[in-house]
Amino acid sequence: MNNEESIILANRQHGKYFMRFLNVLPASLSSHDTTRVTIAYFAVSGLDVLGSISTMSLELQNRIIQWIYRLQVHPDKDTGDMSVCGFQGSSTVNIDFNSRNKLYRCGHLAMTYTGLCILLALGDDLSRVNRKAIIEGVKALQTEEGNFAATLSGCESDMRFVYCAACISYILNDWSGFNIKSATDYIIKSIGYDYGIAQCPELESHGGTTFCALATLSLTNQLDQLSEAQIEGLKRWLLLRQIDGFQGRPNKPVDTCYSFWVGASLKILNALHLSDYANNRSYVYETQDIVVGGFSKWPDTCTDPMHTYLGLAGLSLIGESGLFEIVPTLNISKRAHEHLKTLHEQWASS
Amino acid sequence: MSDCGDSDAGWIFYKDRPDWNDIKPVPEDDGITPVVVIAHSEKFEDVYDYFRAILQKDEKSQRALELTKDAVELNSANYTVWQYRRELLKELGTDLRSELDYVESVIKISPKNYQVWHHRRVLVEWLQDPSQELDLTAEALLHDPKNYHAWQHRQWAIKSFRLYDKEIEFVDSLLSDDVRNNSAWNQRYFVHNNHTGWSDMNVQREICYTLEKIKFVKNNESAWNYLRGILLHDKRGINGNGVVTAFCEELYKNRCRSPFLLAFIIDVCEEAIKKNETNGFHNVERAKELCTALATKYDKIREKYWMYLRDRFEMYVCVNGENSQ
Repeated sequence: MNNEESIILANRQHGKYFMRFLNVLPASLSSHDTTRVTIAYFAVSGLDVLGSISTMSLELQNRIIQWIYRLQVHPDKDTGDMSVCGFQGSSTVNIDFNSRNKLYRCGHLAMTYTGLCILLALGDDLSRVNRKAIIEGVKALQTEEGNFAATLSGCESDMRFVYCAACISYILNDWSGFNIKSATDYIIKSIGYDYGIAQCPELESHGGTTFCALATLSLTNQLDQLSEAQIEGLKRWLLLRQIDGFQGRPNKPVDTCYSFWVGASLKILNALHLSDYANNRSYVYETQDIVVGGFSKWPDTCTDPMHTYLGLAGLSLIGESGLFEIVPTLNISKRAHEHLKTLHEQWASS
Repeated sequence: MSDCGDSDAGWIFYKDRPDWNDIKPVPEDDGITPVVVIAHSEKFEDVYDYFRAILQKDEKSQRALELTKDAVELNSANYTVWQYRRELLKELGTDLRSELDYVESVIKISPKNYQVWHHRRVLVEWLQDPSQELDLTAEALLHDPKNYHAWQHRQWAIKSFRLYDKEIEFVDSLLSDDVRNNSAWNQRYFVHNNHTGWSDMNVQREICYTLEKIKFVKNNESAWNYLRGILLHDKRGINGNGVVTAFCEELYKNRCRSPFLLAFIIDVCEEAIKKNETNGFHNVERAKELCTALATKYDKIREKYWMYLRDRFEMYVCVNGENSQ
């Protein structure tokens, strides 16, 4: 019980932690060069969950919005082709091409998804998003198997990008670039003999990919395609991931991020309340750095923005006080989702 | 890893190389409002300034190929660099065997990087030669037996080129090293499902194998899950295999209270109820009793789940009661 009392959320430190990542990062993070938008997403959405968006100056909020829009890839000026449209993750190859190398400047589904989430969290009205073009970009990335590649220029395809494509389609309220039937088939084929869901058919069930799959089924209203045995099997498989915090696969170590991936999956199946909140909560807090802010995957290891955001999101799912509510499917705050709903209404009436 | 090259003695910046002085570097244009700025090393900026330049020019040359190697070394997760490198390999007719060696060396440094494994896969597809893939992935799995990337590549190679023959032996050796290796159990299922098949004899053989492993470590979710997996292919179902049910009752009688054993017996009860095949061991009361035992004693962290399941069995009683009237 002492333990219960001694854990407090270092709200202010986490806010500062995210602000530092929005500013300048050390050269040791150069391997994140092409995915800077995701870091911005963890920071902005993290500030949102902390209830701290309003503490960001308007100038900073506008800077972020401008920066995201600069990364939008627009239709080809000559041909009108939209297959590479979407958002890039950074300006590493944000250059003009005249040659057939044009396709190197292409959107990336994870960056488009997280870029849109940032815009929503900051209250942008998405009026500068070329919705039609982005949906065409999504469409160009679905494979015959039903899954999605992240980009047109040489990339693997798997469950992660099925999820990103579903989120983008949901946010833009346009499913014309997403074949729901073939994506659902792909997801159902990726259910394992233990009822967890894998990155692709026959691979090992994994907490992260199970989340991607279930969130997609929920966003596409296809959860009823799962049999009762599959739903009950998934609940059991997910709940068995709890040790104190959650692990991503059987017999693997617990990791803070699965308090979100597995927690959100359970929430989607209306079964999160069957888990043990107190144990989950105290594990996540064990990975909190109360001095400089941030969460890590394991106690006493290095913090990073992803685990910090997902740690907070995981705590939010179990109703931690002081945190804004999270929408488990989209992984944005309820506040941002409400804003999205008003945009959908505006689009419908215009 | 990314800026270790800065200390390279003898490293010459591209901007100082005479054989590159025909190229005008293209600096990154991050606009006037950049955020999440990475303070790259001078070497990183130099290499990528020249990478942007050749990409923009669409230069297909040996020196461009060398440049992509430097760019990969600084950030092996840059998918554009890899893709351009593949374009260069094709255009220049480079020996793809040496490229296999090269990407192997990068995989050894970054075994959990999506881009390197993708590059490897494309090369193997081009060459239509999977002869090194089992060794390559075995090596990666030696260092991390649960490396998801390595398993994914291995399954892809095995499936695409029908390399199943010795896979069960490989799985066996991993399970002897660590009977809790869930990835290895999954691979075992993969081989049977695609290759050996689920003949009655094979199902029985796999059951015996799994029961032996469970005897050895009883509290191992992976083995119990696998057992359920095989029984999906036993036409008598999860409650109809006498060897399995006898094994479970024997464990129970010998005071084994592994949550996985109790959960398994609950599932046997459920199937027996659904198929109207209840008996002294497998019935609603037993299932409810086991749920309570799990909730209150043997698996308290999932107390609410086991009570939820217990409630579901209550519903079976109601339904059955109505049926019998």
